[in-house]
Amino acid sequence: MLAKITQSKTLHWLGRQLSNSEDPRAFFDPLTAAMNPMWVQQYTPARVERITAETADTKTFELRPANRWGGFKAGQHLNIRIDIQGVRRTRTFSLSSSPALWESRGLITLTIKRLPGGLVTNWLHDDLKAGDVIGLTEAFGDFLIPVEKKPVLFIAGGSGITPILSQLETMALGNYPEPVTLLYYVRTPNDVIGKEKLAALAARHPDFSLDVITTHESSTPRYLNDHDLDSIPNLAAREIYLCGPKGLMDLATEKLRQRDIKAEQLHSTFFAPPAPAQISSSDIGGQVTFSASNLSVDSIGDANLLEMAEAAGLTPQHGCRMGICHQCTCTKTSGTVVNRLTGQVSGPGSESVQLCISIPQGPVALDI
Amino acid sequence: MNTLNEQQLNELQKDLDTIRDEVLADLGERDANHIRSMVRLHRKLEIGGRVLMPFGFIPPVFLAATASLGLAKILENMEIGHNVMHGQYDWMNDPSLNSQTYEWDTACSSESWRRTHNFEHHTYTNVIGKDRDYGYAVLRLSNDEPWRPRHTFQILNYAALSILFQWGVALHELEAEKLSHGKSHLKEKRPFLKLAAKKAGRQAFKDYVFFPVLTLPVAPIVLAGNAVANLIRNLWSSTVIFCGHFTQDAETFTEEQAEGESKGHWYLRQLTGSSNFTGGKWLHIMSGHLSFQIEHHVFPDLPAHRYPEISEKVQKVCQKHGIHYNTGSFGKQYGTVLKRILRHSLPERITRRPAVA
Repeated sequence: MLAKITQSKTLHWLGRQLSNSEDPRAFFDPLTAAMNPMWVQQYTPARVERITAETADTKTFELRPANRWGGFKAGQHLNIRIDIQGVRRTRTFSLSSSPALWESRGLITLTIKRLPGGLVTNWLHDDLKAGDVIGLTEAFGDFLIPVEKKPVLFIAGGSGITPILSQLETMALGNYPEPVTLLYYVRTPNDVIGKEKLAALAARHPDFSLDVITTHESSTPRYLNDHDLDSIPNLAAREIYLCGPKGLMDLATEKLRQRDIKAEQLHSTFFAPPAPAQISSSDIGGQVTFSASNLSVDSIGDANLLEMAEAAGLTPQHGCRMGICHQCTCTKTSGTVVNRLTGQVSGPGSESVQLCISIPQGPVALDI
Repeated sequence: MNTLNEQQLNELQKDLDTIRDEVLADLGERDANHIRSMVRLHRKLEIGGRVLMPFGFIPPVFLAATASLGLAKILENMEIGHNVMHGQYDWMNDPSLNSQTYEWDTACSSESWRRTHNFEHHTYTNVIGKDRDYGYAVLRLSNDEPWRPRHTFQILNYAALSILFQWGVALHELEAEKLSHGKSHLKEKRPFLKLAAKKAGRQAFKDYVFFPVLTLPVAPIVLAGNAVANLIRNLWSSTVIFCGHFTQDAETFTEEQAEGESKGHWYLRQLTGSSNFTGGKWLHIMSGHLSFQIEHHVFPDLPAHRYPEISEKVQKVCQKHGIHYNTGSFGKQYGTVLKRILRHSLPERITRRPAVA
């Protein structure tokens, strides 16, 4: 064992010396990717096996990740990595299939809704074809079904159903012994995702009750109300899982608190896509977090990120202070920034930004 | 230096910014494909060179192996490493092509290079006293620097610098000339020295220890081949760089000229301090497009393979503002470099020519 570790450490060291890269695998990837994209080592490649339509704006993508992918637990998500117009984009999506499908057949599914104006979701819907290869990270997230068997309530809205589909299927396969209820809010009956799967589960498992609530079928929207919660038997004893748009999550959390549901019983996962950024002077500024230094500062948009970091006492590497030398380029881990030179707005995910010409647009986190 | 008034400088800035904006708006798959195909070509050349080298006891194979490895090092240093480290491909969001993490196949560490080259040289281009790339503190290339007897045989220094170019670049940040004048102390340079030793050690280990030892019965051949490959790269990159800044008409500037300058003035300094040479597609690629040194200095962070198309627009802007666009064949430009080195070997009273540069 020890020999193995030393050996791999030595090999890794040797790889670094020879390839000039912290990740020696990067040396061969450009060649192997051209021969067979499934041989790439820097991330897990996954081949698109099949794409099926769930609703008018939602599709399920069946993927076959390379064997070495580590698997997942029901309710987790992963990042996909794709190149659009030469730019690498990373986005997070929930796994909608059960881990059993991965274990038995090496397949996983992502169920993805097309967002209005969304760069990545629209690309996935319009340009990704069966046979293509995309990149994946390992799965992560702690939106997990209870280890200790307890009654469960799922509250889902729209495409927030996707991790819950995986959880329900997993519970059904394991013959979950407690009652499980799903309150599923959709705009119209046409917007139900996983319709057949849900119906089949409800038909086969008497302990699973399904309540699909349409919110936009009458002139006034019908959102989650007290009656919905009051009708759940033994609500106080349940583990509750929330996934959906922010409005639904806030409303449900508020009403559950009023019913003295403890915070430990409540599990939620974020599912609000960032709104497409607009360029206007009014929405500039926001809290900037320097995560590596554990510092946060507020900004009103009158200073660039480099000036703000320095005002906060940090000394990030920098050079010309006019966007030429890229000495100050660092990784923004979340939030959007505006490029002062071009007026261009960055994406919301992780990417490189030049501190000296970037202005925050809303909350921003930087890896310095 | 050409004198443009403030209004003309503003207009120059606007004209060049327009070119820059057009390219930025158009960046995409074409640029990603270019750099990725260059990376693939580099991998093929390097793997080819390393695999062939042990069979170098057959003379034609030795030639092929050293050429392959030498070309690999040139391509990686010039078209890939140098350009990636300028941030030309940061927009791709690909960690293997990121300016801050890329480490290239030469003795100089990327970190040191980004300080001395991307910042110092590109900000203070050809400002005597601030741009240490001007003559590398070894050569006297303009009359701004007083002549000393040691300059007499500087052509030999030039030859030595070219042959050992990667080591010269690696030690550039040491500022040896300041150390010897007592203007700085070795102690301050300790962090740099540590970094430099690590990187230089890695390079020497790879080419002069690991691969020779791996192929032990033919180790001397592999060692020699690797050394020749490094030499080819050193001579070529040094020549390209000298042609970019030390030609006859490449201008120099004083610190006062560059103090508190506007963006337009900075642009003007880049335009007149740099020089191009003409040639075919592969000559440009193998020089990392530094054959378009003028365009590179004006737009150091635009993908270099765009410089040929940008060049036509830059030339029009130069014409409009009456700025000399310094270009010529490779041979002609290199000839003026040699002349410049030789001429400044001697004091002006001997060369008896007016101070041109």
